[in-house]
Amino acid sequence: MNSAEFYSLLSEGLVIALMFAVFAADLFLPSIRKRLGALTAWGLAAIFGCLLWQCLWGAGPRMGAAFQGTFLADPMALFFKALFILTAAVVVLLTREFLKKSEKNPGEFYLLILSALLGMLFLASANDFILLFVSVELVTVSFYVMTAYLKTDQRSVEAGIKYLILGALSSGMMLYGISFIYGHTGSTHYDAVRAALSGMPSAPPLLLLGILLLIAGLGFKAGAVPFQLWIPDVYEGAPIPVTAFLSVGSKMAGFAALLRICVSVIAPFEKTWALLMAVIAAMTLVYGNLGAIPQKNIKRFFGYSGIGHAGYLLTAIAAGGFSGARGVLFYLLSYAVTMLAAFLVVVYCSVHLESDDMSAYDGLSRRSPLLAGALFLSLLSLAGVPPLSGFFAKFLVLSSAVEKDLIWLAVLGALNVVISLYYYLTLVKRMYIHPPAGGVISVPLSFQIPLYLLMLGIVGIGVVQGPFVRLAASAVSGFF
Amino acid sequence: MIALLVLIPLASALAVLLTPAERQEGIRKITVFSCLLTFLISGYIFLSYSAAIGGVQFEINRPWVESLGIRYHAGVDGISAVMILLHGLVSFSGALVSYSIKERVKEYSIFFLILVASIFGVFTSLDMFFLYFFYEMAVIPMYPLIGVWGSKNKEYATMKLTLFITGGAVLSLVGILTLYQAAGLQSFDLIALQAHFAASPLPAFTQQWLAALLIFGFGVIASLWPTHSWSPIGYAAAPSAVSMLHAGVLKKLGPYLIIRLALTLVPEGAKFWMPIVAWLCVANILYAGYCAMVQKDLKFIIGFSSVSHMGYVLLGLACLNQTGVSGAVLLMFSHGVMAASAFALIGFIYDQTHTRMVDELGGGLGNKIPFVAVCFVMTAMASSGLPGFSNFIAEIMIFFGAWQKYPWPTLAAVFGILVTAVYLLRLVKNVFYGPEKVAWPALKDAQTLAQKTPFVLLLAALLLFGFFPNLLVRNIDAGVKHLIAKNPSIFEVAP
Repeated sequence: MNSAEFYSLLSEGLVIALMFAVFAADLFLPSIRKRLGALTAWGLAAIFGCLLWQCLWGAGPRMGAAFQGTFLADPMALFFKALFILTAAVVVLLTREFLKKSEKNPGEFYLLILSALLGMLFLASANDFILLFVSVELVTVSFYVMTAYLKTDQRSVEAGIKYLILGALSSGMMLYGISFIYGHTGSTHYDAVRAALSGMPSAPPLLLLGILLLIAGLGFKAGAVPFQLWIPDVYEGAPIPVTAFLSVGSKMAGFAALLRICVSVIAPFEKTWALLMAVIAAMTLVYGNLGAIPQKNIKRFFGYSGIGHAGYLLTAIAAGGFSGARGVLFYLLSYAVTMLAAFLVVVYCSVHLESDDMSAYDGLSRRSPLLAGALFLSLLSLAGVPPLSGFFAKFLVLSSAVEKDLIWLAVLGALNVVISLYYYLTLVKRMYIHPPAGGVISVPLSFQIPLYLLMLGIVGIGVVQGPFVRLAASAVSGFF
Repeated sequence: MIALLVLIPLASALAVLLTPAERQEGIRKITVFSCLLTFLISGYIFLSYSAAIGGVQFEINRPWVESLGIRYHAGVDGISAVMILLHGLVSFSGALVSYSIKERVKEYSIFFLILVASIFGVFTSLDMFFLYFFYEMAVIPMYPLIGVWGSKNKEYATMKLTLFITGGAVLSLVGILTLYQAAGLQSFDLIALQAHFAASPLPAFTQQWLAALLIFGFGVIASLWPTHSWSPIGYAAAPSAVSMLHAGVLKKLGPYLIIRLALTLVPEGAKFWMPIVAWLCVANILYAGYCAMVQKDLKFIIGFSSVSHMGYVLLGLACLNQTGVSGAVLLMFSHGVMAASAFALIGFIYDQTHTRMVDELGGGLGNKIPFVAVCFVMTAMASSGLPGFSNFIAEIMIFFGAWQKYPWPTLAAVFGILVTAVYLLRLVKNVFYGPEKVAWPALKDAQTLAQKTPFVLLLAALLLFGFFPNLLVRNIDAGVKHLIAKNPSIFEVAP
């Protein structure tokens, strides 16, 4: 391994080092054991800093590769890595809050978060179907354990089993699909596959079947209809920081893989799969948004609303091209920042109100203006209201759909904004209009700071869109 | 200068956010002072807008998101100069009326100021992106403003209002995006797009469906029948200042945006739909007028009356001639001021009696609160189109404009004046005249300067522009002439 390869594997290497550190501290240093959460969070913050340094001022080439080109550290991969590390850091904060009341040893939980993160980092860089499959499995297996972490809670175990069975099924489908692609092209390397596909005048049916199975496997992670059935149940049963990680990190991972495959590997047959993707997008939009309306449990609520957001992302993927890909990245950036802010509030409420029911949020604006204000901003951003980041994300996505003459999909997406506004506002109504259900909730400073930062992000990205659009554009411009 | 209209309320909202909630008096002062400041600026802009030069003045043009061609392009033309004055006037009066809000003043003021800022944003934007951005930003603060500080059926009303208006807005958004892509200029700039589409118009069919998205999408907020049903119920539930801003100004965004987008960018498409719009306006005028006749709640009466009056505004637009469109803009101003005054007065009574039902008020309030009664009678006269108020001039202009083009709808609209007179005169008689049937010991007339100012200001504007309509009309005409000059094909040139 030469130094350039080493350099492109920087953040992965640091995460592995952090895993060893957490593991060692948990085993040998009882004095730190209590503060493993802080150690992990600071470690991730440092890795995030290194990644930023690498992106902005790094001396190495912007385009790194390792393992004979199966691992690619291009701008898009770095963009996703930054989002994954940010997500993991917030999830660690949530886990700290969540584990405060339990007697369990948290060391293994932090290790699982880090191993899932490691999988996501490799996945963002995967330029080969084998590496893709291995990293998807690393992510998913870590999530199986985390979902079923509350061993005495029946729902948690049930969620874990459900996730395991459906996850294994989807992995099988993906692997089967990859085998068809390998059979037709003789390679698993993205560049080689793409070159082979470009040479084909038309797609053979079995190759298309392979692509379909691959999309199905990744659609499972991304939460696309009809592979979404696991989402509400698993979200509800899993410990709530894991719900947050699933709905932000795991979903982003699915889209990271899907986007790279769509823009680089199967791009030659775009005309063939774009319509399929548009239909999936339409179904996902309608299913998620209508499904969210009757929900009473906040985790299921965000599960369904997350399916709705997957619909918008798939709309942008279906539109394809430069503006579609740029839309996906901007949307994911906005989605991650917004959902993390929302989950900070939801986890804090879940731990301190000991309820995941939406009625627990009655009168929250009187009990804690900060928590209510942060959730209010995030919900409106998710609904796509200016001047918040979610508005511009939807604007880019719908614009890319219109550009590709998918007017019907753009109209459907626009109408779904109204549906989503309805259910987000019902939660706003609970917080602002209903009478309070209890006394004042105080929020410690260690929680306030990330909350303020994420709120600033929601408003900042929504008002000063230019730099973030440029960032998203530069991350995908290499493919077009 | 123009950007200040948006920045001052937003900065004040930030200032209120940082003020502790207990300091209610300070928060109120910030709100009123910021609205006064924007009122003065809007007055200055109105007065110094030169109708002789015409076109866009006070222009700002800065890049915003360069890769997409979004620019912060702001400025005023003759039409928006009048609308800015309307908004400055109504929002300042609204801020004074908001003194009656006693609960959660801090949150109220923040949402109110955001609302004020975004409406100014719409009236000053010359970039389709910002036009939509501010428009949608104006709709959302309504939800908490009505939901928290409203009355009666507020949760249902505010949800219905928000969803209806957003539904219309997102359809228009698809239209805006299609226009952007169809032009291929990589620009949202209205003036550039207008020049482009004038030189190479879109195919007729594309224009027609785009115009449908824009006219009927923005028609929702103008309460075009049959998408009007959010309006009376929403106003009935909203607190006074919010009803004032909503009925007075926000509703006018609908016709304003139809002029800005549909008439300028897809004129042929707009021409195709206008006869249908004219007949829908008849439904607005007569149906809503009859509804107002049977209502018992004062706010419902004024709410339906505003739906009915928006019918005249849209009928004026549908004429597509100088007289009709100018009349429509003048009525937007006059009705805006009139509706604000009516809702402020009803709110004043409701705050003390806690009822708005005509039969529960019992009549004879004129003896008890003469000042408010006089103001209300004047407002009712203005609303029924009595000469001396600017509403009269506006309606006459609309009838003149519409007569040649749509004789039957015009006849129906003239009949609508009679309907308006019936319900308003009956309301005045039953509430303010006659003997007092119910004693309201706590009911006091407007006494302090802060209480009287909004009413006086609004009625003075109606009278001033009623006697000197040319102050407004010369600006409006400049704007409309410009519009006609750009699209001579769809407008009938005045003889």
